[in-house]
Amino acid sequence: MNRRASQIILAAAAVLALLLLAGEATAPILYTATDTSTAAHADPATVQKRSPGNADALVPLMDDLLGQTGTLTLTIKLKDYESAESDLARYSELSRQFDRLVVTLDVSGTDIGEFQRNNRQNQEALTALLNDTRRFEDLQRLEIEVRGDDEQHATVVYEGEALRQKMREGFAAYAEKETEMTRIAEHYDLNATPYQESVEHFAEAANAAAGWREKIGGGTGGGTGGGGAPRSPLMIAVTPTEGRYGDTLLVAGTYAGGLPGNPVEIYIDSRIVETVIFDENGTYQYAYRVGRILAGSHLAYATAGAVFSEVATFEILPRNTSITLALAEVNRTAVACTGNLTTAEGVPVTDAPVLLRVDGGTLISTQTDQNGTYTKHITLAAGEHTLRAEFHAAGYPLNASESQEETVLVQGEGLSPLPFIAALAAVIGTGWYLQRRRQRPEESPVVEVPEVTDRVEEAAEQPPQVDIKGLPPREAATLLFRTLRLRLGLAETKTPRDCARLIPTHAGFFKRYELIRYAGETPSEEELRTMEREALGGDPDAA
Amino acid sequence: MQREAWAVLLLLLAGAAVFAHVTTTTEEYSRYNVGWNGTSGFAGAEIRDLRDIDPGATLLVLAPDRPFTPEEVGTLRAFLDNGGRVLIADEEGAANDLLADLGSAMRVRPGNLSSLDRGHADPGLFVGYAVGNASLFAGIETILLNHPAAVEGGEPLLKTSVLTWDDADADSRPSGEEVFETAVICASEGNLTVLGDPSLFINAMLAENPEFIDNLQPVLIDATHSRTGTTNPIINTRVWIQETPPAAAALAILVVLPVVYRFGRKENE
Repeated sequence: MNRRASQIILAAAAVLALLLLAGEATAPILYTATDTSTAAHADPATVQKRSPGNADALVPLMDDLLGQTGTLTLTIKLKDYESAESDLARYSELSRQFDRLVVTLDVSGTDIGEFQRNNRQNQEALTALLNDTRRFEDLQRLEIEVRGDDEQHATVVYEGEALRQKMREGFAAYAEKETEMTRIAEHYDLNATPYQESVEHFAEAANAAAGWREKIGGGTGGGTGGGGAPRSPLMIAVTPTEGRYGDTLLVAGTYAGGLPGNPVEIYIDSRIVETVIFDENGTYQYAYRVGRILAGSHLAYATAGAVFSEVATFEILPRNTSITLALAEVNRTAVACTGNLTTAEGVPVTDAPVLLRVDGGTLISTQTDQNGTYTKHITLAAGEHTLRAEFHAAGYPLNASESQEETVLVQGEGLSPLPFIAALAAVIGTGWYLQRRRQRPEESPVVEVPEVTDRVEEAAEQPPQVDIKGLPPREAATLLFRTLRLRLGLAETKTPRDCARLIPTHAGFFKRYELIRYAGETPSEEELRTMEREALGGDPDAA
Repeated sequence: MQREAWAVLLLLLAGAAVFAHVTTTTEEYSRYNVGWNGTSGFAGAEIRDLRDIDPGATLLVLAPDRPFTPEEVGTLRAFLDNGGRVLIADEEGAANDLLADLGSAMRVRPGNLSSLDRGHADPGLFVGYAVGNASLFAGIETILLNHPAAVEGGEPLLKTSVLTWDDADADSRPSGEEVFETAVICASEGNLTVLGDPSLFINAMLAENPEFIDNLQPVLIDATHSRTGTTNPIINTRVWIQETPPAAAALAILVVLPVVYRFGRKENE
């Protein structure tokens, strides 16, 4: 196979190999093997690992919460308040853990989210039950002590009646959730018995208040101040009786014995919310703006000195919300997240917690201001990220909402100059090394045999002198052959045939000499002159 | 000499690149796919005629995509009756006709199962729990599943946690009408087992569940109906030559003849 064919085959092989490898080289999987997947499966080696997020604790926590309600209500019913305090603290801690887990695992939209909302309300109800039961016991004791003092006795009875009503309302709200909670418990194979028992315990605690009322001579009629119970002289009313987040409800009333300027304390769900004063007509009023309060039934009452008003109820209805998210680049690594949280009617939700969920996992918290606007600068790694703003409405009479998912491309820190400096130094170093290596042969005492071409050029620069006059033709030809061989830098061991193969441009000369040398032919004068010209550096074609 | 070494190296490189291209494929589940989604690394002999199965063997029908003829169904039924074990791994529901023909109540229910019980960002990569004491899952508590389908009917062998949902809207989170519920991924009826996750046998998953793969051995793969075959004509030709002795002999002669001719010619010179 000749040289050209070999070269063609090698070139073709090289091109083929390059083409095949180039086809693969363009596949991004070689360089960015992340989230490799098809419709049927994913490559686990390329999928980002993440912490399970304690997901396996979710269902056991639900079980614990249900169990805790049974324990707590039992200790309240048994009036073991020390244990009840401890149980309530434990229940609150478990609820906090559960709330965090629900948000972290992003399951607010499921029945587990429903369980969480109900549990939150149950926690409020059981906290109130413990406080009310304890206060009610105090009142029972007081009632015995102040018998004979009509005014003080009436005061105790008023407060007792207020508490009785409140506990009855609280029980109604608690019992209302039993069906739904039991359904969820059964779905997750949880033990609902303690929770069902808690409803019974709650009922017994509430009934104890009703029993005391009958015992002191009150009726059993329902409604605010209904039946035969003594009506408090301190009146109270909430108008309107229904409201939503952002609305203002007027809590107002009169007291015949109220002196102008005397204080009136307003309680919502047993917590004092404001102290106002009586005017000249013995009336008072307080504008209650619906803010962070759970949706559902609530109780309001007032106290003026030792006099308790009756209990007024009002309903807080839920509202839908909407939250927006806008992203803006702050610098190469930080992104500004801004948005508004409002009710569906456009009322801003103020001082409310907002969560920013990054890439479906990491949570960053922020808060709205007085205009319902939030702003948060977050630092992200280079690459594309998805963000979503979420409002979980914990403790608000609002429904949860989340923004559209937004995508941002973070450029990341500028490239460090160090690798470039290192690469530049490497190039310079390599160049310097190669330069030295090239120069070394000249400096080296070891003399290497120069390449044929170098020798040809060297010899060509110094044309040899030759004189063939007077020599026999065949000896003259030999002298010219040696002259040309020397001029071309060929070794003396080279035969005419070797020389013809090595220097094809002078092949005619060497072949002719081969015939003279070995075939015994005698060159003519004309041939010798031509050979002399070529040997001394003339036109080889002339030979 | 140096130039010749480079030439040999170049030819070897080109030969290796060509060989790799013509003898591999990227088709899902293919035995000739050495990538992450192939089954080249799964140890199992292929069988093309169901009548050749030894009684008592275990047959794996992996991601079937071709129907079974009534004769083949009859052969499988007889194989099962004689004590043979059949494992059908399917997530698209393609095996449901075969299951019905075999008289089984088990069915594969395709979907987009996702779970919170996972250690990967992809909600389709999650953990399943072995239940019962089937030999297939002997010594195994958990299995890493890879976008499986649920299996209905039969005796459950592998279940998900209750924090699993069918992510119908593919938003990677439980929302809307999606509810958490336990799903059965593998079930059995006698010697017939249905696994809703054929991805357990792809190269990328073999190292994730080594005990499960070991428990299955030795196993024969039904190459006629499984997606372990390929549509690559070059590979198919090579396989045909390997499996057809006359063709292999003819090819050997074709290779040897030019060499003999060349040597003979040199000797004459």
